[in-house]
Amino acid sequence: MSFIERFFKFDYLSNFIAAFVAFFSIITIIYSIGFMRGKKRQFAYYAYIIFTLFASLGVVFANHLIVFIIFWGLLGLLLYLLIGFGEKENTSATAKKTFIIIGGTDAVMLLGIALIWRISGTFAMDKLSIILNNKLAVYAYLCLAIGALAKAGAMPFHTWIPDTAEDAPTPVTAFLPASLDKLLGIYFLARISLYIFKMDAAMNTFLMVVGSFTIVAAVMMALIQHDLKRLLGYHAVSQVGYMVLGIGTGNPIGIAGGLFHMLNHAIYKSCLFFSGGAVEKEAKTTDLDKLGGFAKIMPITFISFLVASFAISGIPPFNGFASKWMIYQGIIETAKSGGYLWIVWLVAAMFGSALTLASFMKLIHAVFLGQPSQSREGKKPKIRETSIFIRIPTIILASLCIIFGVFAYQIPLKMFIIPSLGSKVQFLGVWNSSLATLLIVVGILIGAAIYLLGKVIKTRETKVFIGGEDLAKYPQMRVSGGDFYNTIQEIGFLKIIYKLAQKKIFDIYNVGSKITFGFNRILRFLHNGVLSTYLSWCLLGMGIIFYILLK
Amino acid sequence: MIYIYYLLVLGFLATAAIGLVASWIDRKVTARVQYRVGPPILQPLIDIVKLLGKETLIPAGSSKITFLAAPVLGFASVVVVSTLLWLNNINFNQSFLGDLIVVLYLLTLPSISIIIGGFASRNPLASIGASREMKLILAYELPFILAVLVPVIQSGFSIKLGEILNFQAQNGAIIGSLSGVLAFIVIAMCIQAKLALVPFDMAEAETELIGGPLVEYSGSGLAMYKLTKNMLLFVLPFFCMILLMGGFVFSGIHIFYGILKYIGLVALITVIRNTNPRVRIDQAVRFFWGPMTIIAIVAVILALNGL
Repeated sequence: MSFIERFFKFDYLSNFIAAFVAFFSIITIIYSIGFMRGKKRQFAYYAYIIFTLFASLGVVFANHLIVFIIFWGLLGLLLYLLIGFGEKENTSATAKKTFIIIGGTDAVMLLGIALIWRISGTFAMDKLSIILNNKLAVYAYLCLAIGALAKAGAMPFHTWIPDTAEDAPTPVTAFLPASLDKLLGIYFLARISLYIFKMDAAMNTFLMVVGSFTIVAAVMMALIQHDLKRLLGYHAVSQVGYMVLGIGTGNPIGIAGGLFHMLNHAIYKSCLFFSGGAVEKEAKTTDLDKLGGFAKIMPITFISFLVASFAISGIPPFNGFASKWMIYQGIIETAKSGGYLWIVWLVAAMFGSALTLASFMKLIHAVFLGQPSQSREGKKPKIRETSIFIRIPTIILASLCIIFGVFAYQIPLKMFIIPSLGSKVQFLGVWNSSLATLLIVVGILIGAAIYLLGKVIKTRETKVFIGGEDLAKYPQMRVSGGDFYNTIQEIGFLKIIYKLAQKKIFDIYNVGSKITFGFNRILRFLHNGVLSTYLSWCLLGMGIIFYILLK
Repeated sequence: MIYIYYLLVLGFLATAAIGLVASWIDRKVTARVQYRVGPPILQPLIDIVKLLGKETLIPAGSSKITFLAAPVLGFASVVVVSTLLWLNNINFNQSFLGDLIVVLYLLTLPSISIIIGGFASRNPLASIGASREMKLILAYELPFILAVLVPVIQSGFSIKLGEILNFQAQNGAIIGSLSGVLAFIVIAMCIQAKLALVPFDMAEAETELIGGPLVEYSGSGLAMYKLTKNMLLFVLPFFCMILLMGGFVFSGIHIFYGILKYIGLVALITVIRNTNPRVRIDQAVRFFWGPMTIIAIVAVILALNGL
């Protein structure tokens, strides 16, 4: 057996993930040429990106669990190094936090791998087929799943993603947490759930609980954010919920939907981060209260952002809809075996989609439409798109959102998803995306024809009517994006949850560090530096030893 | 190609005609309630034609293309939903274009078009109105999804509209069961909110926000929004009929029953809007997330137990 065959394996699933890993690497490098221009340590930056590409390929193709965990750990380190290129105040703290969460869960994975060795005595991934009938196997599965979920950013291991989104450079965020880490995390989750372990109902339920909770909780947090990139970061968390939910359904349509959603998410979320980065580059800020009116200045970025945000909100016929629709069918399929819980999953997923839409409407208002902020009010709006290296990746990704949605069956499902699944996918519902697109286009043409019946050609510009007031004189009348959903924030129990969330009660890193420092306090009390205390401890210890020895 | 023909005839012309008549019924009944004579039957059409002839004003500094394209987006989605519903209702053994989930998603598009149009107006009043519209979507979406699950459960976990209709043709309308009645109450309230009619018209709130998202619209854009709204006045009750009342059956006396069902729904909408005051947005959110969601959950549990 040759060396490569021993440690690596190439099947449909890994080939398809690897192809997209390479695709996103290239797109990110093109984008970085525009975005990172003039920044320090460029050579190291590109070297790390390329190392990340190779480490990811190693993860995807690894067929030996030890080889796998080495590459996987390397990715965590590279993520830490790449976040360090940010220039925000908190960048180093965020990088540390990310490294601790990712590194800690990697250690848990290592434990899981050890358990697998204990159960089956092999590290070869294609030889493993473990039935979850004893405690050890369940623990092994949970350990590995925790690693995969932390990488993908599902709750409660999500807290590094919003921080990274805010503090790391935009291409890094688009590259790792938004696309590559999702591809790899969900790839590994699929690998362990479909191939290495034989899933049972309890584990599926576990995944679905994690999934639906992640969808709703993260998107609720996204609703109230005031920072463009942080808001997008929370969506990078929320969307993981759909993928985990899809894989948790355990039936072919749901799993196919989950994998398809993973692919779609990587596309539209990169597109969103890329367009957000273009705005950041132009405006020098990502604070929603200071942005506004960019549709006029950056029309191409606006259209890409609009397409991607329609895709993430699941508006037909974009790609996000197709995959969400498949996941819903997977959930309804599980309903046939009885029980009430499927309603919770379905409602969480569908309502989460409405909440996603709401937070993107807020973004579109705050960044691109709406009234521009005071600091930009005086400037004459003229088209100032950023460099071509920033625009091209954004446009490519936005067109992929449309193509993968309109030709969902012909391109992504037929070429990537279904072959990698190996089993036949049975659709419950109907969604003829190409015909629907055609009909929507015809509908738009009818609308345009009605417009032409009227006097739409002859338009006249007027001042906005605000009951006779002047917006320039009263800037406090401007509606910024920041406090769009304050009413929702104030309603009943949501108020309490939001308050607790803002105190970081739900942040596993924060809670963990509190516990650690709590232990430290006890130890610090013992080590107070007074010689007589130490001597008395020594005497006490000696006394105990003598007692045991002489007894 | 045949589908484009269907789209033109059923999705656009028939829907618009019925919608305009329904909007006339609504206005006439409202007028009678308020001791007025009310408009002639062609008035809704005349309104739209008149608006098309008016000059189109664009607020200064706004994104002109977004401002004008937003109404068309909503219009196109209503036309497509309407075609989808018609064809699935006429021939329910052959499922066309999309299922229940597709309809649910397409039905949010008219609201989104209003929101984006409002945002593009660059007017604080429009922004406030649009944000209320979005919050209203959040509010009604939760009970609406739950209520829509009732026919899905009763028809044996089918999300194809044709199969839901087929089930009702064989076993009687879903509204005949207890869970069906509860689902109907919820869906009726959600339709009221989707149509942005009193008591859920806080997004437009003429007396307070001067029309909210529509404040800067005039001429063709406004005509397009009015037409879309009138068409929704047909599409939403029709969707409710398909889900709960066995749809529209084209044979003999059933045609008459179908018309009666539809007029009954329009009358219900009109009565609700004429007998209630406008509520605040937070009251609406509480109303939908509180009592309506509870009723919907009860309906779903009853349906799962076969009631």
